[in-house]
Amino acid sequence: MPARPPKVLVVDDELQIRTLLKATLARAGYSIVEASNAREALASKSIDKPDLVLLDLGLPDRDGLELVGALSAEPRAAVLVISARDQTEQKVAALDLGADDYVTKPFDTEELLARVRASLRQRLVSETERQVVDSGEVSIDLLQRVVRRGGDDVHVTPKEWDLLAQLAKHPGRVLTHQMLLRSVWGAAHVGQTEYLRVAIRSLRQKLEAEPSRPKLIVNEPGIGYRLVSTP
Amino acid sequence: MADLQSMSLHVPLAARIHAYAGAIAMVAVSTLIGLWIAPRWGTAPVDMIYLPAVLAAAALWGLGPAVIGGIASAAAYNFFFAEPIHTLQMYHVTDVVTVVVLLIVALVTSRLAAGIRTQARLAAAHAARNATIAGFAGRLLSCSTEEEMAQTACKELSGLFDCNAVLVSGLPEPHIEAAVPEGNRLTPSDIAAAALTLESGTPAGRATSQIQPAEWQFHAIRSPGAVIAAAGLARDDGVPPINEDQVPLLSNLLDQLALALERARADADRREVTSLRERDRLRGALLSSVGHDLRTPLTAIIAAAAELRCSKPEDPALVATIESEAGKLERYISNLLDMARIETGAVKLKTEPVDLVDAVAAALRDLRSRLSASEVSVDLPQSLPLVEADPQLLHHCLINLVDNAARYAGDGVIRISGTFSRGGVRLSVEDDGPGLPQDGERALDLFMRIEGSDRKGGTGLGLAIVKAFAEAMGASVTASNRVAGRGASFTLRFPSSLVIKSPEPVDAG
Repeated sequence: MPARPPKVLVVDDELQIRTLLKATLARAGYSIVEASNAREALASKSIDKPDLVLLDLGLPDRDGLELVGALSAEPRAAVLVISARDQTEQKVAALDLGADDYVTKPFDTEELLARVRASLRQRLVSETERQVVDSGEVSIDLLQRVVRRGGDDVHVTPKEWDLLAQLAKHPGRVLTHQMLLRSVWGAAHVGQTEYLRVAIRSLRQKLEAEPSRPKLIVNEPGIGYRLVSTP
Repeated sequence: MADLQSMSLHVPLAARIHAYAGAIAMVAVSTLIGLWIAPRWGTAPVDMIYLPAVLAAAALWGLGPAVIGGIASAAAYNFFFAEPIHTLQMYHVTDVVTVVVLLIVALVTSRLAAGIRTQARLAAAHAARNATIAGFAGRLLSCSTEEEMAQTACKELSGLFDCNAVLVSGLPEPHIEAAVPEGNRLTPSDIAAAALTLESGTPAGRATSQIQPAEWQFHAIRSPGAVIAAAGLARDDGVPPINEDQVPLLSNLLDQLALALERARADADRREVTSLRERDRLRGALLSSVGHDLRTPLTAIIAAAAELRCSKPEDPALVATIESEAGKLERYISNLLDMARIETGAVKLKTEPVDLVDAVAAALRDLRSRLSASEVSVDLPQSLPLVEADPQLLHHCLINLVDNAARYAGDGVIRISGTFSRGGVRLSVEDDGPGLPQDGERALDLFMRIEGSDRKGGTGLGLAIVKAFAEAMGASVTASNRVAGRGASFTLRFPSSLVIKSPEPVDAG
């Protein structure tokens, strides 16, 4: 934790949800500001300069998706979108617009805090380029381009490495299929989800203790993958 | 009525007398002119004086008056101007020729004039008929419902043909849709005639070749390819309601009626489709708003319970109950919304190559608190190919199958396994519970309605959703009891058409 507790802006039109989010975040040591609509959220963004925004997409005055860009803009703030379970397209759209991650309503508070931590950490270290990412017995050294499992080097193909490195650069954050395909295989292959599936499967085979029950690289159905890291 | 009478080619008696008298009068006037001319310039120009009279009579009144005019002219000429004067004898050949010429002129001119007049009268009759049809169509057009249209048609037909009119439809028992005057009844033979017309499309009843004992005469009202109704006409005095000449007019009118009825029917259909769509939309909107309204407090309850758990409560079991029950409620709401989507046809497929390892892992992760007491074994071989599926629908299927297994498994094991054969990919979820009430086909009914499903709680929607979503993706689901040991087994089958064979090498591209 830095000396000044990170500031979180909670944007939700439901008072009860805001109250509970405040309680949960306060327990974890964050300072909190709140907004009940888009107008207040934008005002708070410029006045309070939050480090992270928890944004409910169903706002009374504007579509939450329209705010993602403005809220994540300078001064940089991480944006975590709160969305209903079955709104996959909305989640993908929010991520494409620059949201860092999402949580699904009704949310598990521990999961919510984990996402908040991951997004803030990402934001803090992004300037000083992450070097080594650990997840259980797997260690990914981005500088030396080496992946180790239980201390032993694991051989991965160049594409597998690109994919793993992409995930490791954003530990704990979901990266959409499109983002991964574009950065690893190139813009011409964003439709080729099967490339991604096969590469992920191969990585799991090499890195997971139980490849059919993955714990390292987890999937968000219809959205993307995230690398679960040890903080 | 006046329109129809003017179509008749007969000329009334008074008009005929008037025409003959006119012809005679014109001859008389010509004679007077001749008497004035003859003393001054001789009788030579006089025969010419009669010519205009004969021509005029022929042009104005036709053959009869013209011939009479011709004969009268010849006689008058002979009597007043041909030697010997004041007798009907003729001495000179020229006089005979004059008389014959006058008669020929009368004949030829009247023939020509009569032909022109007949044509004019036919054109007028035709125009009148067109006006009748157009008026009829116009009045039908102003009706908004089929009932109103039928009533208007009967009123029009009754007025035009001066008879009673009914509109019947329906087979095998035709019934009256509209009648003028109201309260008209049909005898059994009328109904038989109507049925025959409705079935065959040919006229039947009074003064037709079929079912003559009927009092009414029926004509078909047909749309392309089908007889939609029949029009019945009858007169109180038993005289056939229409004559041969009027059949084309009637058939034109009935064609107009058929068009109008078709249009009304199409309008009604369109209105019904629109209102159904609107109702579906409202229902969907209502359900999703109810879903949202239920979820917001539920989110608060779940989050509040989590906070309570962290604050070291006196009775952690109570908090755990709140959390697990709220979790169940959330799954019920999800299922309710899914069912609403299925019923309103709002399920949209968005398929992509899916790794079943991902799908199973995501379902187990979402259900982790639900499964905290259960042992789950996963057997998905590395060789299992990808399948083309909608990740969200598949996720909901697996959540429901695993949740169902957890409900019945007790503290037993839930086994999830995948196999691949030439027939496709199969993903099975098995439990150690009591199994299905009966095996085989009966078990499939479970998907529709689980009788006594409350044995372990649950709304019974879950499996119906699994079936609907699986089928939407082109997959299928079967239920059976496990071959070895106790418990039920549910299998999702992806046919080989949905199996993605040997994907491109990872480093391709």
